[in-house]
Amino acid sequence: MVLLIQQAYITDPSSPFHESRQDILIESGIIKDIQPRIDARADQVIDGKGLHGSPGWVDIFAQFADPGYEYKETLETGAAAAAAGGYTDVFVVPNTKPVIDNKPQTEYIRHKSKGLPVNIYPIGAVSKGAEGKDLAEMYDMRASGAIAFSDGLHPIQSAGLLMKALQYVKAFDGVIIQIPDDKTVGANGLMHEGIVSTRLGLPGKPMMAEELLVARDIKLVRYTESKLHFTGVTSPRSLEYIRRAKEAGLAVTCSVTPYHLFFTDADLQEYDTNLKVYPPLRTATEVSALKKAILDGTIDCIASHHQPHEFDSKVLEFEYAKNGMSGLETTYAALRTAMPEVPESKWVELLSINPRKIFGLEPASLQKGAKASITLFEPDASATIDAKQFKSKSNNSAFNGKTLTGKVRGIVNGVHTSITP
Amino acid sequence: MQLSVKHLLGIRDLTRQDIQLILDTATEFKEVLQRPIKKVPSLRDVTIVNLFYENSTRTRISFELAEKRLSADTINFTASGSSVSKGETLLDTVNNILSMKVDMVVMRHSASGAPHFLAKHIPAAIINAGDGINEHPTQGLLDAFSMRERLGRLEGLKVAIIGDIMHSRVAMSNIYLLKKMGAEVMVAGPPTLIPKYIQEAFDIRVEYNLRKALEWCDVANVLRIQLERQNQVLFSSLREYSLAYGINKRLLDSLNKEVVIMHPGPINRGVELDSDAADSKQSLILQQVENGVAVRMAALYLLSGGRGSMN
Repeated sequence: MVLLIQQAYITDPSSPFHESRQDILIESGIIKDIQPRIDARADQVIDGKGLHGSPGWVDIFAQFADPGYEYKETLETGAAAAAAGGYTDVFVVPNTKPVIDNKPQTEYIRHKSKGLPVNIYPIGAVSKGAEGKDLAEMYDMRASGAIAFSDGLHPIQSAGLLMKALQYVKAFDGVIIQIPDDKTVGANGLMHEGIVSTRLGLPGKPMMAEELLVARDIKLVRYTESKLHFTGVTSPRSLEYIRRAKEAGLAVTCSVTPYHLFFTDADLQEYDTNLKVYPPLRTATEVSALKKAILDGTIDCIASHHQPHEFDSKVLEFEYAKNGMSGLETTYAALRTAMPEVPESKWVELLSINPRKIFGLEPASLQKGAKASITLFEPDASATIDAKQFKSKSNNSAFNGKTLTGKVRGIVNGVHTSITP
Repeated sequence: MQLSVKHLLGIRDLTRQDIQLILDTATEFKEVLQRPIKKVPSLRDVTIVNLFYENSTRTRISFELAEKRLSADTINFTASGSSVSKGETLLDTVNNILSMKVDMVVMRHSASGAPHFLAKHIPAAIINAGDGINEHPTQGLLDAFSMRERLGRLEGLKVAIIGDIMHSRVAMSNIYLLKKMGAEVMVAGPPTLIPKYIQEAFDIRVEYNLRKALEWCDVANVLRIQLERQNQVLFSSLREYSLAYGINKRLLDSLNKEVVIMHPGPINRGVELDSDAADSKQSLILQQVENGVAVRMAALYLLSGGRGSMN
C-alpha cells in the first residue's frame, strides 16, 4: 500500500520540514520520502490543501470500558473514536471490570488491540482492584506492556500508599498518574462549590480538595524522587504548586482536559448531565488561569478524559448521572475554539511531543525513514458537532450541536490509514 | 393574567409579577376556603399525580387537599428511596403514568434538579414539591403569603432564616422569593450548616449568633434540623445545637420587640424551637399550614392554564 499526501503543511517542531508545505510518500507504514513535490504512483492520494500534518497525537487518559462495560465502549469502537479524533496512540485507564491490575489484564488489552488502527496502551492500576489499599503487581504489568500506573478515576487517597508506589515504580522508570482530589473534602459534592452551586442547590465540592492533593503529592515526589503526572488539573493554586515543583527540578508534570478549557460551572444552569464531569467544571477565573498555563508551558499535555456512557447513565437526575464526557472526537475542535490564539505548533507539543517524552513513547517525527505516525487536521475548517455521528459507542457530549472551529481529517499509523475524504 | 412559566420548578424562575399573581390568587382561594362549601370546579377533568419519592406528610396532604378543593382527580405515588434503587428510572415511571392521560405532576424528589430534568422530557405541567437541597417553591410562597398577611407587606421586611441552611430547600425558596419581593434577608446558624458562598450568591446577610439575628429581624423563619440528612458531622449533638440555636419564649421575651416566629414543620420540639415559643401568639406556624392549601390551589390553578372558573 502506497499513500501520497500532497502539499500538507508540516507542523512538527522536531522535523526539518517544520512549517513548510510538503508531499509525503508513505509505503508499507514507513515515510519513504518528504519533498516539496513527489511524482510517484500511489494507491491512495490525499489532497493536503488546507491540511496540517503533525506527528501522531497521544491521549494519556481515556476510558475504553473494555472489559466489563462493553455497552459503553469497546477497544474497537474506542480505537475508531480515537482515530476520528486524530489520535494514533491512546492510554486507557484501568477502571474496567475486572480492573487492569495484573499481567493477564494488561495482556488482554495489548493483544486484543493488535490490528486496530490506533495503538492502545493499558495504564496499570497502582493498587489491587484500584481500591487504594495494597500495591498491585506493577513490575509484572510493566513487563507486559503497561505504559504508566494510576488508579484512574479513583485517585489514591493514602499518602503512605502513594509514597510506596512512587518508590516502587522507580525500579523501572515508571510514571504514576493522579487525578488530584481529596475525596474527604466535599465528599457529596456534585459540582464546583461556588456561587453557581449555591444558586442551583447542588452540593458543591471545594476546589481546595484538588489543591490539597497536589500539594501533598508534590511532597511525596520530593521525598521519593520519582515521577508523577497530575491529570485534570483545574485550580490556579495547583498550577502554582506545579510550577514551583518544576522550578525545583522535580519530575512533576500535568495535563488538562479540553472541556475544562471550554465550559464553566455557569453552563450547568440547566442541570445538563453531560457537563457532570470529574473533576468538576470551574468558574471563568479558573478557565482563564488554565489558558495562561497552556501558553506559559506549565501544562504539559492535553488529556481527553474520554468517558463514554450509555443513555441510561446520563439521561436521569443530575445526582444519579455518572461523571464524564465522551471526548476523543472533539478534543481538537474544543481546543482550537476555546483558544484560537494558540499556534498549531503549541497544540502539537501538548498533544504529541510532550506526552511521548513524559511517558517514554518513541518519538514520532515527520522525517524520511521514520515509521508513519501522522495526524492530519484542518485548523480553519469548522463543523457542527453531531454526537450521533460519533464513532464511539456513546454520545454523551456537551459539545453536541455546537459549531466549532478546527477539524481532524484522520491519521496514518504505520500501515493503518483512517482518513475521512 | 398568566404566569410567565409553564412549570413551577422553583422561585428562581419566577418574576416578581408571577409571585404577586400567585399570592393574590391565593388570597381569593383562601376566601373560598372560609365558605361552607369549600369545593370549586376549577380543575374538573384535570388529573394530577402526586409523585413522592421522598417521605412527606404535610406537603402531600396539603397538595392533595388543594387538588380536591379544586375538583381535580388525583392519584398518589409514593416510593421509598431513589428511583434508581427501585429499578425503574424516573422517566419510565412518569411516562407510564402520563400514558394514562395525566395532566399535571406534583413531585417531591431527593435529587436537586430532578423536576427540571423531568420538565425537559415530558409534556405535563410540573410542580416541584421539594427537590433535594434546591427548592421548595410552594413552601416559599406560603411563607411569603403568611408574612404578608400578618405584617401587611414583604418589601423592606427583615427576615432571618435560622438553622440548617445548607440542607434546606425551604431556605433557598425563601431567599429567592424574599429578595425578588424587596425584603431584607439574613441567614443564621452554625457555620458548618451555612454554605460558604451564600452571601455572594444572594447578596444577603450571614450571622452565626442567634441573639444578634433575632435582634435584627422582624420575622424569624426557623428551620427544622434535618436529622435524616446528618450524614456528616456538622454539629456535635442536638443538645449543643439547642443550647446555641434553640429558640424559647424567654429568649424571645428578652428582646425589645416582638419577632414573628415561623417554621415549615415538622418541628423538633426542644431542639430548634421550644414549645413555649412554637405555641405562642407570636407564632405563625398553624396559619402557615392553613395558607399552604390556598397557595397550592393558586399554583395548581394558574399552571393548569386557567381552565374553569374560580367560583
